[in-house]
Amino acid sequence: MATEGAATAVPSSSGVSGLDLVKLTKVFPGGGVAVSDVNLHVDHGEYVVLLGPSGCGKTTTLRMIGGHEFPTSGDILLDGESLVYMQPHKRPTTTVFQHFALFPHRTVLQNVEFGLKMHGVGKEERRKTSLEALEMVGLEQLSDRYPRALSGGQQQRVALARVLVTKPTALLLDEPLGDLDRLLQLRMRVELRNLQRQLGLMFLHVTHNQEEALSMADRIVVMNDARIHQIADPLTIATKPATELVARFMGDNNIIRGKVVEREGTRLVVEDDHGVRVSVQAPGEATSVGEPAMVAVRAAAVEVVENVGGPALNSAECEIVFVEFLGDLVKLHLTVGGERMLAKVPGERYPSFRGREGEKIRISWREDDGQLLHA
Amino acid sequence: MGSSSTPEPPPLDDATLVALDEVEEGEAILAQQADTGEVAHEATLGGEEAGGGRGWATAAWGAPGFAWLGFFLLAPLIFIVLVSFWTRTDIGFSKTWTLDNYSQLFHDQTYWHNMLTSFETSLIAVFLCLLIGFPVAYFLALKVEKMQYQIGLFVVALAPFWTSFLTRSVAWTYPLMGREGALNQVLTKLGVSSLDDPLFDIGFSTTSVRLAMVQLYVLFMVTPLFFNLSQLDRTALEAARDLGGNWFSTFRAVILPQIMPGVVIGSIFIFVLTMGEYGTVTVIGGNGVSSVGTIVQSKVVAIQYPQGAASAVLLLLALVVGVFVITRFANLRKEL
Ligand SMILES: Nc1ncnc2c1ncn2[C@@H]1O[C@H](COP(=O)(O)OP(=O)(O)OP(=O)(O)O)[C@@H](O)[C@H]1O
Ligand SMILES: [Mg+2]
Repeated sequence: MATEGAATAVPSSSGVSGLDLVKLTKVFPGGGVAVSDVNLHVDHGEYVVLLGPSGCGKTTTLRMIGGHEFPTSGDILLDGESLVYMQPHKRPTTTVFQHFALFPHRTVLQNVEFGLKMHGVGKEERRKTSLEALEMVGLEQLSDRYPRALSGGQQQRVALARVLVTKPTALLLDEPLGDLDRLLQLRMRVELRNLQRQLGLMFLHVTHNQEEALSMADRIVVMNDARIHQIADPLTIATKPATELVARFMGDNNIIRGKVVEREGTRLVVEDDHGVRVSVQAPGEATSVGEPAMVAVRAAAVEVVENVGGPALNSAECEIVFVEFLGDLVKLHLTVGGERMLAKVPGERYPSFRGREGEKIRISWREDDGQLLHA
Repeated sequence: MGSSSTPEPPPLDDATLVALDEVEEGEAILAQQADTGEVAHEATLGGEEAGGGRGWATAAWGAPGFAWLGFFLLAPLIFIVLVSFWTRTDIGFSKTWTLDNYSQLFHDQTYWHNMLTSFETSLIAVFLCLLIGFPVAYFLALKVEKMQYQIGLFVVALAPFWTSFLTRSVAWTYPLMGREGALNQVLTKLGVSSLDDPLFDIGFSTTSVRLAMVQLYVLFMVTPLFFNLSQLDRTALEAARDLGGNWFSTFRAVILPQIMPGVVIGSIFIFVLTMGEYGTVTVIGGNGVSSVGTIVQSKVVAIQYPQGAASAVLLLLALVVGVFVITRFANLRKEL
């Protein structure tokens, strides 16, 4: 069934296994609503990324699951059992904190051992398990160093090893790659994802980086302004944004805002103020003629055709504002009567657009690439 | 050649990081005395040449400070040590070498008795200041979220220091702790005690001197602890909880080792200040209580400079030993 991609998701009916957030809400004293009515189900072994702009409540959500923030209302269930009144040190979740939060006065090995020590594991076994975890993240030879003598990537791995030894049921990661430089980020994405597959653990990963979310997640949860906007797999998030916010946040989407002018079956035609007409398949939508509607078309789905004039549907005549060359692709910044549009074409075509700012051009796209947005 | 592959971070990265670590080491040493062994180890690995160059610069920066110390601390100290070996005369001393001042002191029962009492007072003061100071510092540094509130509350905590020393100490005697003092008045009103048979009558006693000292000096403990605690990474404390530590084990394993410098500094402050105390003792203890400080003072008043100097030198030695013990104790804890 096409429940994926709906703007609000209902927690799965099989709420017995896995993590469930039920109408989770956090209002800070002073009235700031950080998380509002969040419903989410995560299965064991699933890699879920919470994605959203700064301040949308990602960290707060994670902190509530970890037990570092108490929810104003709602429930958090792990395998059907509520965690809300459980102290953080009793919860089967552990967190990789935003800036790693290593213990500066303990060596790498002592950092990793900490969780086992707290759980009363004997010295010998503690050491053995910790060294194994360090080996898994490739740091066994640095076990006697202090955290400040490590690079960001190494600290990151210590933080991972430190939580892994406690054998959590769910791993919570708050912007785990945020402190790393770009190359290291790319490498750690792969490492982290491999580690998760190897362990088969539930990972809940918070980030504001779209690319990171798309490349790592089994499912992405897009949040904004304390609410969930869409829960879906990366392909759906990238190609079929559910709301205007998701379309804008994921970037490189053309949003055509207008009124429904035609309706035949599940097919709608929307026309904006500048006469751009777009047709879209919208099964199950009750929008009728005359009502306002929004359609997103990905910049990468837009074709550039040279001949001016042509069919009016799913096509527009634009002026080139700026030609941006990005190596393997060219971004054409366009305008239709003041409305900005964007087209992405392969980099090899750069010579045919170079220096053509101010000229007219025609773009078109297929009906399938149109996506009706919710407010 | 035209193929593209995932770029590996250049090996140069590691070198840069090592260099950065070097720079940070200076701060790290200040932040964590405990790790000195490790730091020294790394310094020898990485930057002999950089160390030499910085040494001179540091010395140059330190020069005015050393001059100040030399003039105001070292010179008087040397003078006192000299005087303690000179002979007493009716108008002061003559520069004839003698060990009499010390041999007299060694047989002076009162002096050693006072030394012991002062030592006991200091230990009690250090202990009580730790016990009272830590929760205050902990609350201010970790439980108060906003910087403004932290500073505001800190200034309020400093309020006793807005009044003069004399006012504060005098308030401790009759008005507060005396037979008809505020404490007994309140207790009488509450029906716990009566003015005829008071619970507290400790004006002019060793106990009141000790209590007053705790009140007077507790801020010397709160301040270093506060600064140490506010430097702690709060998320690291959360991480400790997350990894299965309860409050107490988090305190032992994460907080205490990191605030040890503050504990040591505060303890040294209070130990040194209370050991040599004579003001509080005189005002609050009255004639009934004496300390090493009051002995030194009385000898000076009696123009027995060489004996006064000798008592002061012994006091100083006791302080040095005490400070040494405190720092050793801190290191020992670390190694356990
Ligand atoms: N302790 C707090 N007291 C009051 N408001 C808070 C507190 N913590 C967070 N908030 C507010 O709650 C909202 C959500 O914060 P949160 O830290 O969850 O955002 P985030 O999505 O993690 O953002 P970022 O990407 O910047 O880390 C923000 O508006 C923030 O100001
Ligand atoms: Mg955050």
